[in-house]
Amino acid sequence: MLELLAQTALNATYAASYIALVAVGLVLIFGVMGVVNFAHGELYMLGAYAVVALYADAGFPFFLAAAVGLIFVGIVGIGMERTLFRPLRDNPLGGLVASIGFLLILQSLASVWFGVRMEHIPPSTQQILRFSDSVSLPVQRLYVIVGAVILLTALWLFLKRSRFGWALRASAQDPEAAALQGISINQTARIAMFIGAGLAGVAGALTAPLVRTFPYMGHSVIVTAFIVIIVGGVGSLEGAVLAAVIYAFVHTFVTTFFDGVIADIVGLSLMLLVLIVKPTGMFGTADRA
Amino acid sequence: MISKLLSGMVSRRRLLGTAASVAGAGALGSLLPVRAFAADKVVKIGFLAPLTGEVAAWGKPGLDGCQIWAEWVNAAGGLTIGGEAHQVEFVAYDNEYDPGKARAGATKLIKEDGVKFIMMLGGDTWPGVQKVAEREGMLFSTLLPSDLSPDSSTLLAPAEVHPIYNVTGVEWLAENKPDLKTAVMCAQDDALGLPSVATYLAAFEAAGIEMLDDPLLFDPATTDFAPVVTKLLAKNPAIVSLDTCYSDYVHPICEQLFQQGYKGQIISCTADFYEKIVEKTSKEFMEGFIFQFPDFDDPALNGEQINFQRPNEFYAEYNKRHPGEWGAVSWEYASIMDLWKAGAEKAGSVEPDAVLAAMKDGGSGKHAFGDASWWGEDLFGIDNALVGDWPVVVIENGKAVIKGFKSIPAWYDKHGKLLVKHMEALDQMHYQRG
Repeated sequence: MLELLAQTALNATYAASYIALVAVGLVLIFGVMGVVNFAHGELYMLGAYAVVALYADAGFPFFLAAAVGLIFVGIVGIGMERTLFRPLRDNPLGGLVASIGFLLILQSLASVWFGVRMEHIPPSTQQILRFSDSVSLPVQRLYVIVGAVILLTALWLFLKRSRFGWALRASAQDPEAAALQGISINQTARIAMFIGAGLAGVAGALTAPLVRTFPYMGHSVIVTAFIVIIVGGVGSLEGAVLAAVIYAFVHTFVTTFFDGVIADIVGLSLMLLVLIVKPTGMFGTADRA
Repeated sequence: MISKLLSGMVSRRRLLGTAASVAGAGALGSLLPVRAFAADKVVKIGFLAPLTGEVAAWGKPGLDGCQIWAEWVNAAGGLTIGGEAHQVEFVAYDNEYDPGKARAGATKLIKEDGVKFIMMLGGDTWPGVQKVAEREGMLFSTLLPSDLSPDSSTLLAPAEVHPIYNVTGVEWLAENKPDLKTAVMCAQDDALGLPSVATYLAAFEAAGIEMLDDPLLFDPATTDFAPVVTKLLAKNPAIVSLDTCYSDYVHPICEQLFQQGYKGQIISCTADFYEKIVEKTSKEFMEGFIFQFPDFDDPALNGEQINFQRPNEFYAEYNKRHPGEWGAVSWEYASIMDLWKAGAEKAGSVEPDAVLAAMKDGGSGKHAFGDASWWGEDLFGIDNALVGDWPVVVIENGKAVIKGFKSIPAWYDKHGKLLVKHMEALDQMHYQRG
């Protein structure tokens, strides 16, 4: 039983890692720009396809492909900010509708370029850390956990210690006051989109050899990310990380001890419970919620 | 830009050359038998299946196989109806495995394209089409006989009796590895997974194999299968059954089984692109993996009882055109066309009611894997499934090998009550489905 609990905890830690990367990016974009980016799951998908193109097809090293995935998807995010979200900044629903349209475009492009079938991406390493006969952690999964810890720590330091980070936080708290202090709203939006999209991209890139990589893979990820940011508090980065951990552990343990369908029901029930007890989420404030 | 492209593609010399070829072909045509060039009569066949989306792997390869079938049949003179040759043309509609899109597609294929027969994957999409089929009297085929019911007299399951043939794999396993006595199972929670769960439960019970836990159902949107596999392995089973998981699930589940140290027997309905699983795990891990769909280069398919035309050549041609894309359904829709063609030629008509009567005439038909009978009254309320022998396939040294053909009706005669019991327990009998 102890071994089963240990293996389940390792599974949950991996799930929490990539969910946190995606959810934090989504929160950052919403916090700074006030846009609900429905195409965030497709940015995750783009990151995975960067690994397909560069690592599986072209033979570049896996970590190089993942880094390119981060930067490439970040640049796509900047493009979205400039062409979709900025022109619609004064339209409360404009960004949301535009992101839905953009996700369909990204899905279609991926289908045309790569086909609709699941990609078969070889793992970058076959090494497995074996703690006992029935407790193990493939090193490929460890990469995701370590990657998430490094990137989220770096983001935290960037937001707390750098001038750009202060500017981002100021824009998220009160865009008008931030603008009056000389902070460029366009620039902070650009940075937020680059980081938010890049985090989704690198999550897709790091998990690509471990999950089903296909053009519609973003759907389930975005649903999970929305549950997480609602539980954590819309606009709260700390809340997103904590909620990702809670959701991943609850979902993984319920799947293991009951089944996957019940786990989905429990996950959604968790969200409903939070909405009833604390509608702003664990760390959310009433302003953005 | 467009003019540049066109100028690059169509040079004056190429245009003249093409015109000369067309003129030459016309002149040559007058010298050849009329039969080979009677292309003025065309029979259109509808292909209504998922060509994109998560279930595309069970639609698109079938269409690719049908194109080869049509080219071969048309090159051989086409379909002979009442002494006249007809060319066969497929009209495809991507239903994206969505019932609403399937209904729109069926209506379009019948009303606008004038097709005479529509092939489907079935499953979740059939309820969307059922009313159209009843109203129009159109002949449909499905790969999933769980769609069959007495309300749908024009729906046939002529290629595969999914999931009933899965009993043959379990029967073979019990005969050849009798020491394996415990099993666990997982499946996606949908119209494809549940009847298959009932079938494996019946087959395991018939074989004296104990289920260590209830079947683990997972959401079809699942992306991380580590928790699923951890739960499966918690009971230390001798056999892991992957039920009729889509190939997109079979791959990550097998990887997880490998990574979490499983060394026992795996049995599955399908193992599409199994060579990729071997690459991501190992030959040793996949050795002995049992499933139900052979590669058609298997020498066992050259036996006299096999009705599929030139299986080895078909496989070679398919792989030449679509390298690495051979899957469970690559041959199935084409084999349905063999049966439909025989029925149409026998009826002397391509009209749906006439072809249906001719196909079912005498209660038997030439299934791809041997002569078979129209069957299904007990399970589906109607004898519209063509049932006979089915191959058991085992991976040996990284390659799928047919280990034998086993009779589905023979198993059903002995254990049919078990199957009905488990189908009823999961609300999968035709009178229980909504």
